[in-house]
Amino acid sequence: MKVRSLEEAAAQVPDGATIAIGGLSMNSTPMAFVRELVRRQVRDLTVVAIVQGMAVDWLVAGGCVSRVVSGLVSFEGLGLAPQFRAAVQRGEVAIEEYSEHTLICALQAETNHLPFMPTLAGLGTDMPALHPETTRIERDESSGITYVACTPLPVDIAVVHAHAADDLGNVRVDPKLLWMDNEIVNAAKTRIATVERIAPRSTFTAEPHRTTYPKFMIDIVAEVPWGAHPSSMFPSYVHDREFFDAYTAASHSGSEAFSEFWTSRVVEPSSHSDYLDANGGARTLLRVKRRTS
Amino acid sequence: MGVSVNDVPEYGCTIDELMVVTLSRAFDNTTRAFNGAVSFIPVCAYLLARKTHAPELVWAASSIAVDADPEVIPESTLSDSLWGGASMLANSPFDFWAYAQGRDYNTFAFRGAQIDRFGNVNNTVIGPYDAPKVRLPGGGGMADLSCMIPRIYLWSTTHNPRIFVDKLDFRSGIGFGDGGDHRASLGLPGGPQLCVTNLCVFDFEPESKGMRVVSLHPGVSIDDVRASTGFEIIADGNISMTPAPSAEELHLLRNEVDPTSQRLREFA
Repeated sequence: MKVRSLEEAAAQVPDGATIAIGGLSMNSTPMAFVRELVRRQVRDLTVVAIVQGMAVDWLVAGGCVSRVVSGLVSFEGLGLAPQFRAAVQRGEVAIEEYSEHTLICALQAETNHLPFMPTLAGLGTDMPALHPETTRIERDESSGITYVACTPLPVDIAVVHAHAADDLGNVRVDPKLLWMDNEIVNAAKTRIATVERIAPRSTFTAEPHRTTYPKFMIDIVAEVPWGAHPSSMFPSYVHDREFFDAYTAASHSGSEAFSEFWTSRVVEPSSHSDYLDANGGARTLLRVKRRTS
Repeated sequence: MGVSVNDVPEYGCTIDELMVVTLSRAFDNTTRAFNGAVSFIPVCAYLLARKTHAPELVWAASSIAVDADPEVIPESTLSDSLWGGASMLANSPFDFWAYAQGRDYNTFAFRGAQIDRFGNVNNTVIGPYDAPKVRLPGGGGMADLSCMIPRIYLWSTTHNPRIFVDKLDFRSGIGFGDGGDHRASLGLPGGPQLCVTNLCVFDFEPESKGMRVVSLHPGVSIDDVRASTGFEIIADGNISMTPAPSAEELHLLRNEVDPTSQRLREFA
């Protein structure tokens, strides 16, 4: 049986691992799992995050990261990801930037056991020259087409957040998979899904067309209701704008103010439910819960 | 929201409104668009165009939610809170990237911390890549989609020589590359069509592919634009005043498209 506690699941991540984080920007991100990595003081991670914000910022603030492999890290309309930005500018964290589609191609090359996947993405930009070994510019002689050859991106562990799983490891995303989580699940050696709820096996056999990942693609599942907070979990709840605002404000109020916020709101709460309580509890959950129309 | 936006008293509107209306008029019923991060001005423009002259325009919110018609625009244009009213939620790897690479989507708008005369954009670093003065969010899908999509639109809510630079610190997204036929020689379709700023509207001169002033916003002179641009602009054509928004456009933008004025986040 594949059901583990959140703590047991996070204990699978050793220092120095390459871990890919699912979700996109403010959406569908396994934040409870990320918080547990911070609490465990995991070190020297390479974090693969195609388009992210708060997950990368937490791991950087927690001192967990040596390298970020990403297309974009920001808080969007709320500004730049403050801890990430400061750490990169101090030279403490390396950022290996790829375009979004180049990362998809690199993950697909890894999945498919191919030497590379070709794309037109990035031609004429400075992006391929940042890492000429992994994004080579080549020309196909028969068609005359110039392309970027994206070499395989190995991933030790992928972690995604989903709506439901059974004890065998079948996983469902409601209403269907929208982001690029399948690309990291397919490429990774170990695959972990945190889920809003553990459901009976009959949930999956009754509606097999709604299964997103089959049991053989998932190694560990952990039940974490509201496990994407403060990111959103469409269609169940929206991102917690008040958290993003308070986090950003604390970041811009000096290291003491940030440290106070970071400790009391993120690091210190010992369980996920304590964390939710430290961040407004039921009042917050009511605020972010999506009204069904 | 604690930000100041320039009034355009000649037109009874503000500069954000003039920019949205101007961009929306560049779109038509053949426009099939989507949007990336921090894209409030084009998101408003797509919605406005669809409510006025281009009812058949296709727009996929956050590249996912086809034909979305949100009640309000949230503080993130990649947020799932932008998806209300959609007719399809398109999966990113299988659907979106296929439509984009297949050029079934034909329109993409992006901005950057730096823009050069050929419409190339930097959103990666200010200063050297390995020792940046400012680490920016990153190009995200900009490098991809600037290559794949034929009709590119640029906008900037701030027009000054630090943004409109002679040389980018890093090229995250391609416009016309090194100019002339460089983009076409790479096998890439189309290119930048317009760049709408808070001072003027540029198109791209057909031969050199350099930015060319086509219209000035009210109260702005060509010398203002020259002084605010870090490269030599082309200003040899027939330069008009940017046309005024209609009362209907302003009403729809203020009351239906973006009633909570999230677009002002781009002016912070």
